Amino acid sequence: MIALVFLLGLLGVVLVAAASGAAALPIAEILMLIGVFVVFFGSGVYIAAVLGALAFLIGFLFSDRPWWNFAGQTLWGPSSNYVLVAVPLFLLMGEILLRAGLSERLYRALNVWLNRLPGGVLHTNIASCAVFSAISGSSVATAATMGSVALPYFQNTAYNPRWVLGSLAAGGALGNLIPPGITFIIYGLITETSVGALYIAALLPALLVTALFLLLILAHGLRHPMEKPPPLPLATRLRALTDLAPTLALILLVLGSIYAGWATPTEAAALGVTGAMAFAALEGRLTFRMLHTSAEAAARNTALLGLIIFGAYLLNYILTTINVPQALAGLIAGLPLPPWAIMLCIIALYFALGTFMEGFSMIITTVPVVFPVVVALGYDPIWFGVVITMMVEIAMISPPDGTVMYVLQGMRPKPGPITDVFLGVTPFLLAYLAAVLLLLVFPGIALWLPGVLA
Amino acid sequence: PPGPRIAITAVTQPLPTQPQYTLVDQPLLRDGLRARSGGRIEVTLATHAERNLSGAEIIRLVRAGQAEIGAGTLTTLSGDVPILDGVDLAGLAPDIALARRIADAMTPVANRDLERFGVRIMAMYPFPAQVLFCRAPFASLADLRGRRIRTFGNSLVDFYTALGAQPVSIGFPEVYSALERGVVDCAITGSGSGAAARWPEVSTHISDLAVSWAVAAYVVNLAWYNRQEPAVRALLDETFREIADRQWALGAEATRDGIDCNIGNRAGCRIHSLAARPMTEVKASEADRAEMRRIFEQVVLPGFVRRCGARCGEIYNQVIAPISGVRFGG
Amino acid sequence: MILLRAAALLRRGAAGLAALMAWAAGWNYVLCALFVTADILGRNLLGVSSAATVEVTGYMLACGIAWALAHTLACRAHIRVDVLVNRLPLSLRAPLHLLALLLLAGFAAFIAWAGWMLWDESALFDAHDNSALRIPLVLPQGIWTVGLIAFAAMCGVLLLESLLALLVGEPRRLDALLGSRSLQDETEEALQAVAMAKDGRG
Ligand code: NA
Ligand code: NA
Repeated sequence: MIALVFLLGLLGVVLVAAASGAAALPIAEILMLIGVFVVFFGSGVYIAAVLGALAFLIGFLFSDRPWWNFAGQTLWGPSSNYVLVAVPLFLLMGEILLRAGLSERLYRALNVWLNRLPGGVLHTNIASCAVFSAISGSSVATAATMGSVALPYFQNTAYNPRWVLGSLAAGGALGNLIPPGITFIIYGLITETSVGALYIAALLPALLVTALFLLLILAHGLRHPMEKPPPLPLATRLRALTDLAPTLALILLVLGSIYAGWATPTEAAALGVTGAMAFAALEGRLTFRMLHTSAEAAARNTALLGLIIFGAYLLNYILTTINVPQALAGLIAGLPLPPWAIMLCIIALYFALGTFMEGFSMIITTVPVVFPVVVALGYDPIWFGVVITMMVEIAMISPPDGTVMYVLQGMRPKPGPITDVFLGVTPFLLAYLAAVLLLLVFPGIALWLPGVLA
Repeated sequence: PPGPRIAITAVTQPLPTQPQYTLVDQPLLRDGLRARSGGRIEVTLATHAERNLSGAEIIRLVRAGQAEIGAGTLTTLSGDVPILDGVDLAGLAPDIALARRIADAMTPVANRDLERFGVRIMAMYPFPAQVLFCRAPFASLADLRGRRIRTFGNSLVDFYTALGAQPVSIGFPEVYSALERGVVDCAITGSGSGAAARWPEVSTHISDLAVSWAVAAYVVNLAWYNRQEPAVRALLDETFREIADRQWALGAEATRDGIDCNIGNRAGCRIHSLAARPMTEVKASEADRAEMRRIFEQVVLPGFVRRCGARCGEIYNQVIAPISGVRFGG
Repeated sequence: MILLRAAALLRRGAAGLAALMAWAAGWNYVLCALFVTADILGRNLLGVSSAATVEVTGYMLACGIAWALAHTLACRAHIRVDVLVNRLPLSLRAPLHLLALLLLAGFAAFIAWAGWMLWDESALFDAHDNSALRIPLVLPQGIWTVGLIAFAAMCGVLLLESLLALLVGEPRRLDALLGSRSLQDETEEALQAVAMAKDGRG
């Protein structure tokens, strides 16, 4: 729906630009492109093929160069980019930890402390996702791992399935924001910004988002009171904390290795995989079969992302060849608006794009264009990196298209309509957006900590 | 010369903020060609970053007709054309005048290799001297033994390995945080490029010893060039001669300027931006220069010939040895 | 009918081969993690580094992506925009599936061709990378291109079977081949993973 509104908006912009006398605008071609886009999405085509087909159309319509001669290099560049190596590694780590049972121990340990709050086990969903995010740099990996652990807990309980699914999706959407995170690594690569500084800058905003989520659940719990489980003796609860030890050890390994100067943020993902294997071995669960299924799942999910990247980069190359990004950046920068209004436009653009685009390809295709504008407006690159990451996370939980939501829907023990997930995640989505606006008004939330530590 | 309009796309420097782009490419290549052709030649300039290119694919870009003119550093391009690495070996040219004589002598030789692939070098030019940035004090080359140094390209790896240092491979975007956190102890780049990437924030000592010059080249698509009428070709040749002069002058000026900006010398810092936290300059001694020459002769040069083949050794002895004074094979 | 059965057999064989390639891709990531870990440990404890991690891990990623593409297609895991198409009646849905696959096959053929041209150009240049190992680019790019060609071939095999199924009037078969993974598929997989964790605990 929102995608449709966005397309209509784009149409409006084109018409207004045409009416205001920009004679050079090829309106017929642009209208045709929008039409093709709508038909493609209606008929259920593969996303990569849509992007590729758009690249072909735009290339043949607007470029007089043999761009196809350079396609091999265009595809080889990103797929052999060492920074993106972190993606399969984080996915692999999540698969291993899930099969080694670490994720379940993490969940149980947090649950004995949180399940008597108003809102009950829902708090555990957010908290366990937040803790898991401190090892994993991928939101899909976080949602899939914690979702498969948490969902069985809610079978035959009185919890509203919408809130269960919504809280898990929202928790998954912390995966990139809480360091480490792939989005920061990619953003750092494109804009030559320090990934370490981005990680530090993201800490307070991540806390803010987590706190907003917990408050939301608290309010829901107070309005719909439920019977509390019997209190456990303190000794039992303290003993449960030992179950957190392996997770904390992994966090220390991944983040500690970055800040101690042993590994770069990209390399730390590899340490995470090795650490997860070591942990599984300690538990006596590191079998060939276990590693094999984990590796296969990681390969499949990486290929799925990789194909989309192929399409996105091809389209991106053609657009840059015909100078679209440069022109667009100039257009936005030239708007007769104050910087904050332009920033609001950029955020709105990302929100609209995010409803139907994959967060990952969204930043790869747009940040090279938008970043110079943002810097020219006087915004801090570190601050913008945090905002972009939050917009990517929002994209993953904004209906109708969002991988995190689809993953959870696929894992429900008792099938139900996907609208349960859509409705359940909406309050959390609004809370996330509120956090972005707070960051816009008070940039210090992101910039204070890096300033103090520098 | 009068005639139909000629549209040229040129993809030159890595970043749009570099002085090589703003002080030379924009005024001479874009505006200069337009003015001198009476508005006939229209150059669309772009940087590697804006085209999402790494720099290693420039020859293929021009060859495939994606741009008429491209530019890139020779070390990066040497993966495709190995002889290019010979122009800018680590320790070959301690001063910029020597570097230019070598580059000018090698241009026709390199073109014999390149024209087989349908491209031609129009001019070679330098970046500021490639110098070492470290996060801990050092006084001489000998002090670098055991340190982890971020390098790029084969001859720099050979050079620092011979010093007993440990070359580390890290992508450029991660170098800032790698220096900050101590993943590496030192990193090498142009004196001015380090200033632009805010390395003074994460390192304390900078060497003034020019290990290499990041010599780069402008290449054109040969088929396109040959299609142009003689007057246009003459105009292009003349423009590139002027661009080369301007770039070499800028290289000399920017080398000292970069160091001055990094050490907080406001009076000498005019091209790059002044470091907020001034670094300490480590001046190279005569012993350091002698050691650099020894390593070049005994390690770097043989390494280059081993990678590039015996023919490269012969070319080196014919073309470069008379200028550098160091022969391959003694 | 015979033709359709032959095409199905061919598709099953291709899917088996694709699964083998995807396993190689998956284990390649495990190796990649171990390689980078070894480099970190070597650099920090022993003072040795391969000085080529950037290049080698990049190649591992590229080849990992390419070699798992066909298997991902056989598992029906490539992402489609199928909110609308899944609500249509089968008679409409089946040809739309075919249209989507046709477009994907075209795209796959193009990227396979592009990979081949890149490999060919690297062979012409006798190109090497700038790492300390000076790896000839035809090696990683060749392995990468093999994966891309396998993906295009998988598209072709699926296309053949789907087309035959549509011609002989078996649209349901198309749905099974190309339709989005059902809730059941994904649930099973997730529960299997959790079960594996529980098994281990014994
Ligand atoms: Na994370
Ligand atoms: Na979305």
